[in-house]
Amino acid sequence: MFKYLMLAGLALFLPGLYALGYSIFEGPSAWMVDSRTFWGTPISLFVFWIGLAHAGTLLSAIFLALDIKLDRRTALIAELSTLVCLVFAGIFPLMHLGVVENFYMVMPLLDARGNFANVGSPLVWDFCCIAVYALLSLVFFMTHLKTREIPALDKYRKPMAWLLFPLVLWVHTVVSLDFATAFVPEWCGAFFPVYFIAGAIFSGLALMNLLLCSEGYRVRLLERLQLIFSWFMCAIWVWDLMLKGSLCTSAFIFAGVLPQFRMIAVIRENKWGRIALSLSVLIGLFLERLYIVSPEFGSYAASPLNWIDWGLIAFSVGGFVLLFFGIRRYLSWKMEGAGSYFGEVDGTDLADAEQQELEKEGARGIEKPKKGFYIQPWASEEYHVLRLPLLVGFAIALVYSIWVLSQSVFANVEFSFANIVPLLYPVIALVTTVTLYLRAYFVEHAFTLHRHEKWMAAILLVLVAACAGTFFAGGSSQNSTNTIDSQSIGVDAPISQSHARLLWNARCATCHGVKGNFNEKFVREFYPVPQKLDVQRLDSLGADSLVKVILNGRANMNAYAGRLTPEEAHGLVNYMYSLAKEGEK
Amino acid sequence: MGMDRREFIKSCSLVAVMGLLFGCRKIPLEELAGDLPSLKRFEDEVKLALSQAKKSLDLVKIPTPGALKIPGASTLNRFGMAIDLDACDGCGKCILACNLENNVPLVPDEDAARGRFMHWVDMRGSAPFMCAHCGNAPCERVCPTGAANHTPDGLSAMMYKRCTGSRFCGANCPVQARKFNFNDAQKLGLARQFNREVPLRDKGVMEKCSLCLHRLQNDRLDFKTKLTVGATTADAEWRGRGVKTACAEACPKNAIIFGNWLDEKSPLVKLSKNRELYAPRELADLDPSVVFMRGRR
Repeated sequence: MFKYLMLAGLALFLPGLYALGYSIFEGPSAWMVDSRTFWGTPISLFVFWIGLAHAGTLLSAIFLALDIKLDRRTALIAELSTLVCLVFAGIFPLMHLGVVENFYMVMPLLDARGNFANVGSPLVWDFCCIAVYALLSLVFFMTHLKTREIPALDKYRKPMAWLLFPLVLWVHTVVSLDFATAFVPEWCGAFFPVYFIAGAIFSGLALMNLLLCSEGYRVRLLERLQLIFSWFMCAIWVWDLMLKGSLCTSAFIFAGVLPQFRMIAVIRENKWGRIALSLSVLIGLFLERLYIVSPEFGSYAASPLNWIDWGLIAFSVGGFVLLFFGIRRYLSWKMEGAGSYFGEVDGTDLADAEQQELEKEGARGIEKPKKGFYIQPWASEEYHVLRLPLLVGFAIALVYSIWVLSQSVFANVEFSFANIVPLLYPVIALVTTVTLYLRAYFVEHAFTLHRHEKWMAAILLVLVAACAGTFFAGGSSQNSTNTIDSQSIGVDAPISQSHARLLWNARCATCHGVKGNFNEKFVREFYPVPQKLDVQRLDSLGADSLVKVILNGRANMNAYAGRLTPEEAHGLVNYMYSLAKEGEK
Repeated sequence: MGMDRREFIKSCSLVAVMGLLFGCRKIPLEELAGDLPSLKRFEDEVKLALSQAKKSLDLVKIPTPGALKIPGASTLNRFGMAIDLDACDGCGKCILACNLENNVPLVPDEDAARGRFMHWVDMRGSAPFMCAHCGNAPCERVCPTGAANHTPDGLSAMMYKRCTGSRFCGANCPVQARKFNFNDAQKLGLARQFNREVPLRDKGVMEKCSLCLHRLQNDRLDFKTKLTVGATTADAEWRGRGVKTACAEACPKNAIIFGNWLDEKSPLVKLSKNRELYAPRELADLDPSVVFMRGRR
């Protein structure tokens, strides 16, 4: 079964890959973009897949946190679907860039470029938040996989669920802010986060029901939820229609009207009927994303989608099917050999688990209250597990905020507290998770790792470090206060030529070159490209204004006021004259 | 016909060399002559753009632009323009002047048919319309890399080499003043460098009106030089006097006035006195530097 699905996925994926390659080669003009909207299909696909990606972990985590029993196989499928969706959600924002090779400029990863990424841009928030979310989802999934081998790990799943629950809502809110902070009238509105989250859960439920059909069983709870969410989405759409007069009719029919057929028993009880219901929801929600991203969709040309758009859609759908069922097959074949690694589904699994849990907790001396009883949050077990890591998380977030507040304004981009608020919870979640697992491994010895798992953990830690790096938005740089005035600055006797040469080679040569002939690779990043060093130009700029530039900085030149004395700066200017004269000989 | 081995190898290698030379012919030729677009094509495109121009422009009254409120802004300079709607007759000479000054490339025919021009100056409501260099610019706020930024002198500037082409700024500009390089104009033979001072833009980056930044920079350098050699002592501060943008220079009716909003002696301040200032409705709250004027003279 999985093999045929993989083949079908491959059949979609390969032509899609061609379309992807072509559109990277051709640039954004390859797909449908009109003069008013700049984004088009890739961003619609990004929003669609990131929505699906949020739903899997969200469902699994929320159900776990709220004590709603979901059997192991369903929960694992939800978590795996999240990870696979994230892969495709990550590809689209990268491939849609005009200059794909410059993608790294979006992330504030360390201050390697000596320049800020704009921390006020929702795209930067996206990058940081989604990176954290992907990592923590991976950890959550791995923990769940490992619980079969080491049941003690189960203790950490619920605290993780409580961490992920707000994180998912947070990250999807940030994604919706890409749109809600913009000026396009169709996107404005404080309801956008709720709208996006509801859409994400709705589409995720549909995907889950579809995947469960491929496994050959069903979870009625998820189907009922899908129906309920279709009502919720309809309510939002009707509200939006009354508010702004815009409605995507096809999305309304596919995702609003057709899911209601679940109320007919014949359709509901038939496997193909259920598949059709879920598919219609997914199609409807994709159309809706397309409509949100390009409001003029459908009103522009006879055929709004060209073959590239179809190719990109095929790429992501086929790729998802291929990768998801590939991993699914690999896991059940490699780890278990009997195809039941993901657990049984006839109910014995659930009953067993509940029984085991009761025994375990009895053994640990925790009295399991009856269902419906109120447990004080501070008395719950997950709070005890989470207490210290959470404290560390909050402390790091506090240190981070203080560091941000102490940063000066740079290059007219305000690095204000408001700009990093969207990053705070991801910081907390990341630090808490790392602390939680480090403590579990080194202090509590709750689990052991095989050799290849150790490698994986090491890679994970490196990724975590990179992830933490994305929150670092650069060191302190001084704002250029260079204005022109006539007062000459009192310059004392300049330093000696040999001292100046040492200074030049230490401080200036990285960019300006040892002989003043510029480090081309570095300098081509800037526009306007600085002038070459020649006597005529130095004369026209004047010695003391050059001294001021060295001390106060200008455009891309950093300020050296604290690091060089005025005498040294003056000496450097003299040295520049001598370099220029040498160059002209 | 007799041909010995030596002859055969000789003729073979000759043919190969000739083939190689034939294959190489394009490169030197391109360098020498090039297939640069003619000036007439630029003129034709402007005519096409004029015929496709939007007819309506929704204007609201605004107060005179003051000093910028962004951190690090200059208290002396804020450059901007006023477009005199009573004088402008919509001839479109400013568009061509801008294209030639800033090396704005042509677009392929299918883009032109869809109205997707690269022109930094559009015609809307039969008046020139360009980036307003908003003091509170929404495009700069969302730029992930800081390629769109504000100079202390009030220009909304663009660092082409830092742009990754996420097009977020374009999506966030309420009046669509930003243009995206969908095509590699240089490769398609649609770009021509009329002005050596302005670089040609690569495929995949955003661009827009720069208020002729290079002219301002030249004037500033000139001023500085004179200051160092003591040729000018009139006043010590550079206020950008005497600079005109290409469109303002080209306007036969003097309907485009460039100047410094904070300088009492600037033609902009003098000529906009006693006039009503207007801005497009979408921009009215964003503190635009380029405005329209109308009414009493």
